[in-house]
Amino acid sequence: MIGRTVRRVGLALLTSAATWTAAWAEGTLKIGRDQDSVYMDPILVSQNADVWVLNNINALLVRNTRDATGVEPDLAQSWTISEDGKTYTFTLRENLLFSDGSPLKASDVKFSIERLRDGEGSVFGSMFTVIDAIEIPDDRTVVFQLKERNEPFLTVLALFAAAILPEAAVTADYDSFSAMPIGAGAFRLVEWRRGDRIVLERNPHYWEPGLPKLDRVEWHYIPNDNTRILQLQAGELDAMIFVPFNRIAELDAAEGIEVHLDPSSRMDHILINHARPPLDDVRVRRALAKGIDVDAIIQAVTFGYGTPANSYIPAGGMFYNPDNPRWTHDPEGAKALLSEAGASDLSLKFLVQAGDANYEQVAVLVQDQLGRLGIKVAIEKQETGQAWDTIVEGDYDLNTNYWTNDVIDPDQKTGFVLYGDDPDVLSYYTRYNNPKVNELILQARIEPDQDKRRALYYEIQRIAQEDVNWLGLYYSPFRNASRSYVKNFFQNPMGRFMLETTSIEK
Amino acid sequence: MERFRFLIWRPVQMLPVLLGVTLVTFVLVRSLPGDPVRVLLGPRARPEMIAATRHQFGLDEPLPVQYLFFLKNLLAGDLGRSIMYRAPVFEVIAERLAPTFLLIAYALVLSILLATTFATLAARNEGRFADHLVRGFCTAGLGLPGFWLGILLIMLLSVRLGWFPVSGYGETWLGHLHHLFLPALTVAIALAPVLTRNLRATLIEQMGADHAQAARSRGLTEGEVFRRHVVPNALLPTVNLLGVNLGWLIGGTVVIESVFSIPGLGQLMVASIFTRDYMLVQGITLVFALTIVAVNLTVDVLTVALDPRVVL
Repeated sequence: MIGRTVRRVGLALLTSAATWTAAWAEGTLKIGRDQDSVYMDPILVSQNADVWVLNNINALLVRNTRDATGVEPDLAQSWTISEDGKTYTFTLRENLLFSDGSPLKASDVKFSIERLRDGEGSVFGSMFTVIDAIEIPDDRTVVFQLKERNEPFLTVLALFAAAILPEAAVTADYDSFSAMPIGAGAFRLVEWRRGDRIVLERNPHYWEPGLPKLDRVEWHYIPNDNTRILQLQAGELDAMIFVPFNRIAELDAAEGIEVHLDPSSRMDHILINHARPPLDDVRVRRALAKGIDVDAIIQAVTFGYGTPANSYIPAGGMFYNPDNPRWTHDPEGAKALLSEAGASDLSLKFLVQAGDANYEQVAVLVQDQLGRLGIKVAIEKQETGQAWDTIVEGDYDLNTNYWTNDVIDPDQKTGFVLYGDDPDVLSYYTRYNNPKVNELILQARIEPDQDKRRALYYEIQRIAQEDVNWLGLYYSPFRNASRSYVKNFFQNPMGRFMLETTSIEK
Repeated sequence: MERFRFLIWRPVQMLPVLLGVTLVTFVLVRSLPGDPVRVLLGPRARPEMIAATRHQFGLDEPLPVQYLFFLKNLLAGDLGRSIMYRAPVFEVIAERLAPTFLLIAYALVLSILLATTFATLAARNEGRFADHLVRGFCTAGLGLPGFWLGILLIMLLSVRLGWFPVSGYGETWLGHLHHLFLPALTVAIALAPVLTRNLRATLIEQMGADHAQAARSRGLTEGEVFRRHVVPNALLPTVNLLGVNLGWLIGGTVVIESVFSIPGLGQLMVASIFTRDYMLVQGITLVFALTIVAVNLTVDVLTVALDPRVVL
């Protein structure tokens, strides 16, 4: 009886020892994340968890540079653009192969992009409808004919959805492909256990010599923040993403763990519903902008890790104006504006996504700050699934939300956030519509001169801020953590984990 | 064998219950505000695409039609397609069955071990120190919130001492048992007190019963009396209690799987409710309902087996 117990305990301890030694296998990076992968087909993907895995296993024609200020060659080694800006000619590198060893040719590029543009269920398809035709004069040349000049086009090709896929594999057996995809990225998928983990191994056919440095990457799904942190502390994980703001200082101080606050394109803001009077009166909106104390919110919610947002374009983004004026906290001025607009007795409904601790905090702070102006704010919590419907339908006055860029060109976000003439999007459902801004947006989309383009976006930023299209809150960095022996664990501002240059040194 | 006749009719009697479960689940989950397709495609998707996807999943049909489709497919053994995973519900659930059932079984075994040990200890030492100790443990176990206890155990036994993995499911059978020990223990600490108190009470009652006295007067030792006469008579109420608590246990896996990151049905259920994955929610509910039906059946069988006087 006792002997059996001793043997069992001994076995258990041995097993755990074996597990620990296995975890120290050279070249394996185990990352803990809070979301689980759902799709492996780049055209169907919309959530970050899927995007970040796809970034590791797929390659694009061109990709964003490390600091996301421009694009650089990926599968394409060079390109030319015609004078009229309607023809883009790409030359692919020599001897490109997919992870299964099959050759990557121009026909695969044509197939992938056409599928992205026209495919059923393609989430970002509308961004590629500007492509009129794709010609492939030979195996290494791809020519894009656009319907009109489109300045953002090159950056749009760097979108994760524009991954180059093997035509043969996708058309032969789509179900197999979507379960075990093949790409030309630094890693290839070897195992996908839903609700548990995704295992990637180095792609031996990756075009960049000497990369990736890691042999293996595992993305583990651990939705509970505490558990994820505990695993990192116990050494079962080598890295984790989404460290809650209130744990950053503690983790960074812990021995053997480093917190990385890489700049991101994330901006948190409060949507205002312009279709609900008196929020259609710019004076009322300005009163709200003056009434909230953004600095206090940043301190309380982000523990000082966020920076105040002075423009809808994130800091560091293309054509961001660092001097764009910001609304300062001025409760007296706000009250004056409210009485001028005859809205001193205002009642607002603040929609908040339930379960998001940060947003719940923001809502309470705003409720208090606006309360001092005499505005009654009623907080309504809804689950994410329900909240989006409510926002689309316009059944709210205020709502906390955020945006991260998918491409570095500002046109994508500007079009979504400020272009009031799009009936499907309605300026990010704020119903903001300024004809002058709409005009500037269309102009900026086709302006070839970079300086003139910058001037246009500076103008748009200024007007949007004056009109108070929404209440900007803060920019915040990515919050990742890793053990000290992990070198170069970096997430670029577009959200891509540059794992091909990450390494483990023990 | 006569006594087990009820087994033939029971499945037939259960059919209306299961049907009712599917209907209630169907209505409840669809009356939740929020659109699964909007959740799936994200905020930046265009309305045409949303409409096309809804059509693809048959979500634009009137509700009664959708329910009839569901029943029709169910009879053919098809649980439908998950909106979130775009895969057959059957497959998605099958992948997650093992961890949850292993966790439940493990927790049951631990609970029974704890309960029988403690209850016996307490009953045999009624009124003395051991009894008070056991009753103290029971109260503590009942009072501690499972979520909090789980994290505490992880911090102590995993992070500090490194005896057990923090979370997850592990590979190989031994790995599973190793990984699931802490979650199973957390559940057992919550469930065992209920069983212990009940078993202790029935044991004490049986120990003082006439037939036990009679056995003692015939010369049997206390141990023999306990094993052969007291225990079999005392088990029955506790077995029934166990059956009732199993429903609670299955629901509790949701919290435990979330804390310990176990890729099981509980976690899947939460995820599918948040994403409004109707077919998946219905499928998992059906699986849980079937499990509870099966458990109740087992309890009834055990009851009949243990007590020849019972007629069901």
